[in-house]
Amino acid sequence: VQPPEKPLQAEEWNKLREDFQVPDIFEEVMLNSMIRCNSPIDVAKSLLTDLAKRNGDIGYSVLVKYLTLCVQQGQVSEIRDVYDIMKVRFKILEGGAYNLLVKGLSNSDQWRMALTLLEEIKKIMIPSRTCYESCIKAASRHQEMKLAFALYREMLAKDVVPTLDVLQSFFDFSRGMTGAELQKELFGILLYLRENQIYPHKTFMRSIKLWFESIPGGNWRGHLTNIKDSGQCPVCKHQLEDSNLTEEEYSNLSERIIKDVIHGTDTFRKTSPKEFEAFQTFVENRLPFDIVIDGLNVSHIKSRRMQCENLFDAVNCLAKENARLLVLGRKHMLMNSSNWKREIMKEMQTKADFFFAENISEDDTFLLYATLRSGKHCRFVTRDFLRDHKACLSDSLTRHLFRKWQRGHQISKPKCFFSVFSQQPAFRYDCVVQTTGDTWHIPYKDVFEEKYSYQVPKEWLCLQQK
Amino acid sequence: MQSANMLLRKIVRSSVLPFAAQHVMKKDLFPLSRTLSLSLCLKQDKSCEPSEKLDLDEWKKVMKSGLQEEVSETVSEPEKLSSLAAARETLEMWRLAGRAVPENISEEQLKTFMECPSKSAKKKYLKYLHLKELHKKNDKRKMAEKRERRLEAQDQASKTDDETKTSPFICLWSRTMDKAYNWRAAQSMIFGQPLVFDMSYEKEMSVREVTNTVKQIILSESCNRRSPDPFHIHFCNLKDDSLYHREFIENYREAWSKLLVTVTDQCYTEIFPKDKLIYLTADSPKVMKTFDHDKIYIVGSMVDKSIKRGVSLARAKRLGLETAALPLEKYLLWNTGAKNLTLDQMMHILLTLKDTADWKKALEFVPKRKYCGFVNKPVKELKKTLDLINTLKIGKRRENIEKQFAKNCPKK
Repeated sequence: VQPPEKPLQAEEWNKLREDFQVPDIFEEVMLNSMIRCNSPIDVAKSLLTDLAKRNGDIGYSVLVKYLTLCVQQGQVSEIRDVYDIMKVRFKILEGGAYNLLVKGLSNSDQWRMALTLLEEIKKIMIPSRTCYESCIKAASRHQEMKLAFALYREMLAKDVVPTLDVLQSFFDFSRGMTGAELQKELFGILLYLRENQIYPHKTFMRSIKLWFESIPGGNWRGHLTNIKDSGQCPVCKHQLEDSNLTEEEYSNLSERIIKDVIHGTDTFRKTSPKEFEAFQTFVENRLPFDIVIDGLNVSHIKSRRMQCENLFDAVNCLAKENARLLVLGRKHMLMNSSNWKREIMKEMQTKADFFFAENISEDDTFLLYATLRSGKHCRFVTRDFLRDHKACLSDSLTRHLFRKWQRGHQISKPKCFFSVFSQQPAFRYDCVVQTTGDTWHIPYKDVFEEKYSYQVPKEWLCLQQK
Repeated sequence: MQSANMLLRKIVRSSVLPFAAQHVMKKDLFPLSRTLSLSLCLKQDKSCEPSEKLDLDEWKKVMKSGLQEEVSETVSEPEKLSSLAAARETLEMWRLAGRAVPENISEEQLKTFMECPSKSAKKKYLKYLHLKELHKKNDKRKMAEKRERRLEAQDQASKTDDETKTSPFICLWSRTMDKAYNWRAAQSMIFGQPLVFDMSYEKEMSVREVTNTVKQIILSESCNRRSPDPFHIHFCNLKDDSLYHREFIENYREAWSKLLVTVTDQCYTEIFPKDKLIYLTADSPKVMKTFDHDKIYIVGSMVDKSIKRGVSLARAKRLGLETAALPLEKYLLWNTGAKNLTLDQMMHILLTLKDTADWKKALEFVPKRKYCGFVNKPVKELKKTLDLINTLKIGKRRENIEKQFAKNCPKK
């Protein structure tokens, strides 16, 4: 339906309604298309007037739609009127209307009313993140940073996850302001990014940079840079944090892997207690390994070649460095077949230790166990992202630990290797927001660049105090 | 022109506008209106008399005026609401906002609603209740229509013929049929091949999944009873007063104690020799070739909506039982969906296999949406065509094929 351009008389609305196939929902459809076309508010008013005259009442959903239109156009007095009507008419409102009201009012000079409305919402439910977002933005826009931070802390306390927009607005509006308190709060936000492994996007990064450089007397200078594989910042020559886990984190992670991933609800799902015990004694007798290889995964690298040849190449290449290797496989690899030649398998077993699991067991869990058991220096080779094993871990903190450890210890190869088995180095440094007091290093992502959960940004913001 | 129009409209709206001016300006004001019907209206308006001015805020007056009495009422009400009442109030607002919310909700449902751990869980539960309510309403409406039609037909019948019909056939009433079925089921309990439902998955399932499981078992039991040569059904590992048990009683009521099946809290390994048991699970590496009349098949009574791979396989492994999966891949060109089937589908398939040993006939009971068709050519050829379809879908691989083609051409 095309909304009319001007307010219409009752007869004219009637005519339009009759032409419409489903007269019952005429008003809602019409208002929806008005919202889409951003029609003048008077047209919507004339429709409401007609509706009120005919029925003597206007439904809640129609009022909310009208409110949407008012908020869209920033008609503050109308928003207030609608709120007054709604408040009298209904005992409480639902989330959608509250969101609209708060959003509409916070963008106007009556933003304090949005705050009182927020208090009202809290009595009924937990306000949505958009409610908090509007209020925080309104407060910081009017330089009431204390209030904004109070709201922010309240939001975190209620487990409402703030949007990156809110966090960015803090940096935008604090630019050039002094105060140790304020600085502490903003550093707190950066630490929040660190703890939750969130990477800011480019514009957010710019806001951070501008804020740092605007601190009066702070002498902060920011540079955009790429970090080398060695983990050294090319600008300030600072060595980034190591990707290794601490002793406590390490033992915590290995414990959880055994508990959640290998055993889970039922040890029989991935292996059997007997087999796992056999594997444990096998590993303990031969510790420590330098590299653990997922045999089946590696054997599928090049589909045109025989599977055991692929594995043979990999083992040969890695064995040259005089490393202690462990190859994990399944029992069917020992059967002489077109893909698995017995002679080649025998030759490989002189260069590396092999463990063959049952055909229906999952060898990935063994891979994780053997690597973790061998210690921090040990790495593993597989193309698998190990997402399903990560998913078995029960809390997000351990999942973060797992990702970090995986980044530091997994070797995944480039897609095609020819004669030389070239490895992609595991990350030596940890990719999170980090500080030493007089420097900050903040990884950021380009908004246009696609980023998967296993990828980490290569671009960094280096901030140093002179 | 646009801005001039806006200005004019403002003038028209202002209350001090003289009548004459309005009359003159109308000509310029309205020809812009798009719809033909509108301009027609206007012409009529003009012909009789100039329409009265629109009061755009009149709706507010209407809304406020109609409420004066109500306001005084609401004020006198106690301010604090109990949490249940508050939840009911919120639901009402959601319903007014046009969300999928049931019209009537019982106290118990409201409590479950409030216990939902997250917002999305709440939404899901409400949608479920809403759909249930809609179905119920529809059924009621259909029943009423049917009753009316029947009454009409009766009226007509009583008018037309008075003589009573005599039929040469014996009319088999459902009670007689039931007796026949029960006779067969009783026979199967003595001589029939056992079929075990393993009821040990309660911990793995949510309440709704258990309900669904029990519904599926009831369907399987009824289709077993109706078959010419039924299985002797065993419900093993069924503990008294477990959720399964309570659901069964709720569904079967008094019939539960008269059901011609064996119910036990023992495990199947305690009842039958281990070497005769075969656990049917989609995760099994072994594929079933033929239906063996001497074996005892076990079906896990589990609905897993959240994918829990390998749960039933783990159970079989723990007890050291043989496992088997249906040869779905071998006979069907699989399209979408999980390979695990519902319990009643399993029952249909097993019954057909037992009677006919015809895989094609048995696998008719796999839902049609899950497969493209039966395998009629050698699997290799079919795989080729499937690969071709896939390569057409994925551009990258097509390039590879083109390269291969280019390589092959010079040879010729």
